[in-house]
Amino acid sequence: MLTHRGFVVVFAGVLFLTSGFSFFNFYLTLLGVYLLVGLVVTLPLFAMTANLSGIEVDRQIDKVKVFSGDFLRVKVTIKNTSRRHFDFIEVHDQYPELWILAIGANFIASRIEPGGSITFSYILQVRMRGKYYLGPTEVIMRDRLGLHYYKRVLKEQTEVLVYPTWKDVRRLEALGKQRQLGLMFGAHRTKVIGMGTDFAGFREYQPGDPFRNIDWKTSAKRGDLVVKQYEMEKNIQIICMVDTSGSMGNGYPENTKLEYAIRAAVLLTHMGIERKDLVGTCVFSDIVHAFVPPSLKPNHMYDVLEALAIAEPVGWSDYESAISYVTSQTKKRTYIIWLTDLEESPAPLLNAMKKVVANGHRATIISPFGPWFEAPVGQFGPVEKVLSEAVSEELWERRQKITRALARFGINVVNVGPEDFLPSIIRQYEMAKQRGVAMF
Amino acid sequence: MKPVTVILQILSTITFVLMCWYAYTSLSGYWDWNAPYVFIVTVFRLISLILFFIGTMVLAGLIAPIAGIAPGEALVGLYNTQLLRMWYMQPYGVSGPFTSIGQVFSSVTRNFGDIFIILSQYIFTFLYFLAAALGIVFFLQSLFRMEHKFVGGALISIQMIFVIAAARALIFPDLPVIPIPEFTGGEIPINFVDFLVERAQIIALVSFAYLETSYQMIYSYSVGKPVEEREETLKRQLLALRQATRKRDAIEKGEKISTTAMSRSSGATAFSFLREAIERRLFGGGEAIESMDAIADVRRLQIFVDELLASDPDARDQLTAKAAAPSSAYILSSTIIGSAIRFIGVMTIAFLFINPVFFVAIFNLPPGIANSVELEQPELVVFFMLPILLAFVLVAMIIGWASSREVEEKPVLTKEEKEAEKARKAELKRRRAAARKARKEREKARKRAKMVSDSGDEWDKALEETYKM
Repeated sequence: MLTHRGFVVVFAGVLFLTSGFSFFNFYLTLLGVYLLVGLVVTLPLFAMTANLSGIEVDRQIDKVKVFSGDFLRVKVTIKNTSRRHFDFIEVHDQYPELWILAIGANFIASRIEPGGSITFSYILQVRMRGKYYLGPTEVIMRDRLGLHYYKRVLKEQTEVLVYPTWKDVRRLEALGKQRQLGLMFGAHRTKVIGMGTDFAGFREYQPGDPFRNIDWKTSAKRGDLVVKQYEMEKNIQIICMVDTSGSMGNGYPENTKLEYAIRAAVLLTHMGIERKDLVGTCVFSDIVHAFVPPSLKPNHMYDVLEALAIAEPVGWSDYESAISYVTSQTKKRTYIIWLTDLEESPAPLLNAMKKVVANGHRATIISPFGPWFEAPVGQFGPVEKVLSEAVSEELWERRQKITRALARFGINVVNVGPEDFLPSIIRQYEMAKQRGVAMF
Repeated sequence: MKPVTVILQILSTITFVLMCWYAYTSLSGYWDWNAPYVFIVTVFRLISLILFFIGTMVLAGLIAPIAGIAPGEALVGLYNTQLLRMWYMQPYGVSGPFTSIGQVFSSVTRNFGDIFIILSQYIFTFLYFLAAALGIVFFLQSLFRMEHKFVGGALISIQMIFVIAAARALIFPDLPVIPIPEFTGGEIPINFVDFLVERAQIIALVSFAYLETSYQMIYSYSVGKPVEEREETLKRQLLALRQATRKRDAIEKGEKISTTAMSRSSGATAFSFLREAIERRLFGGGEAIESMDAIADVRRLQIFVDELLASDPDARDQLTAKAAAPSSAYILSSTIIGSAIRFIGVMTIAFLFINPVFFVAIFNLPPGIANSVELEQPELVVFFMLPILLAFVLVAMIIGWASSREVEEKPVLTKEEKEAEKARKAELKRRRAAARKARKEREKARKRAKMVSDSGDEWDKALEETYKM
């Protein structure tokens, strides 16, 4: 293949050649011939040496699963397995567009000896959860004068699974450390009075209380029979239902409703694990994409992260199928937190909630309100502003109806925006802990 | 790589100077140093004259329909005196401003011819100077910026001097002939040695050598430069990162920090990651959170890099790709051998193309053709050159095609991975089908229970139904 500079030489050659013809001058003709012959004289030799099949590219990465926002070193080794010299070789290792090249360069240009190798590395900041591929690698070989080139794309790709961001957890932990309250900052253990070994207080004796519970010393002081009360710490079981329907993908890139829902689910799972609560996750849209049952397994967090990492905003929300699946998998009483924008028709949602209640579970809906995730009204023109306000008002009215309807089942709907999404889920979790909802 | 590049820079300069010297001596006696000044001044005077003429005509045209009569001499004189008094007309026999249209007309018709004659005399000399100046500018650019386009520009510019001189001889055959390079007697020598020592051949070879050495110089520069640049970039990036981290630490501790314009710009332009982090901090939506994230990112990157450099002794070399730097000795030796082969190949093949004797002997052409005038024309080159040059391209294509057969791409997925992917898709399909079936059943049940209504707001209906429960 001819490069741009090759075309310049062709142009110059033809120019001098035709000038020679026009002005009947052998010097100009000869110069034109020199340029054109110089362009092609070593071409067969170059074609023979530029056999790019002798080039092998090996890509290595430190980790195949990383958190969004983390750094990843990519090491690329180019080997010349042939017996030829490659005078000028350019290697471009491609990485996903959303990621940021933090240190180094994903490109190298050099020459490579027979049997030799070149190793270069670069550091990327991984952005946005999901499944990504590093590669392909583009290898371009040029001749010395840069007049011709051969290109080959090595299709080998390296898969990288990017977990949702861990920054919220880090932030929470940092906050806990700053206040010197340790990791359990803000946690309220659910206490059940009656059983257990921890002393809770005294109460008046009631007929039927076991005699061994009577505190004789205190009874003597008070002049009336009192019994000792004990309390037991209980944990709760939660399932986080993450709606991944198409409408959840609306909003600013990296700040869509779904991204916030996923961050909330990650935070909730982490908090649950820290406090020995059972937290499961169900990722659904028109089908159940993934279900990680509540567990305390050491790898539970990673199971949840993997399920959330590959979630994509597609399809529509089938609440009934999702809850049928979850209830069939869950026998214990569970506190179900829905993270959904409630954009589907009411009947299936109401039926799903009926099923939740009928199975003895409790539920709360944390619902991102669409207009709060989209462009601020201030950025619109006057017409768009009026329209968006009208749409917002209508949607809000619809929300009120939903809230009223679900209140019948004792299900609370919390409308959230980007700023209060994460605080809301923490608040709901703490409230559930305090109230002792769905203890096991 | 620098010594090799410097050697090639010197060679490139020598060949360029030689090429220029040949151009200068070939046109010896025609380099009138006053030509550029006279030509430029003449062009401006011509423009001035045309504008003056148009201006006067427009004024007269505007006044006549308004006043109903042609403008008086006094009015035109006033206009010319007040507005066009600075018009530079002195070299054409005009001592002061015009006061009548008649003067204007006669001046234009008289001077236009004079100016054209001066232009035709100086235009070619001016173009020689222009081409030479452009050639020198391109050459200097190529030396410092190491780009192929400047080398091509320099070569074409200097050679354009000969092209212009040849064009002048064709356009104005009456003017004195400029001795542009040509073979002795206007014919190509039959003997190869005679051909080699011909002045025209030497000039062409020097010109080609300039192109060759300059391209080799750029190759030598560009093959070593990326590695050097990588090393420099990495140093800058690490320094900027460390500075940014220190600054953040100082801010957090409440210490005062001093920033200079230089440090700010070096920090901001150091690399995209840091720049992006700074932008996020400055323009982020949720200010405190964004700022915290950006600071955390910079610090985490610093920790990552520190750990990497501490844990892997080769990490720094791999980031800079130090091992990839090619040896200078090989570059120099291969440059000399490669260029020598190319020179010999180019001269030999070009001699065969340009001299028909060889082909006449091979094809055993009849005397009528062998002795014809057409064989002495330069255009005959095309007759032999095109098929042979295309044969080179064809051979290269065949070799390229044959070697590309050897490329064996590894399959993207292994057999197990393919099966797993197939199973995953089947499972997804099954789940979708089951969900679809369940939905249909629920829909039927809902219809039976008359849950679905044709009119009114669906949420109102649903709400009513829940209250009925």
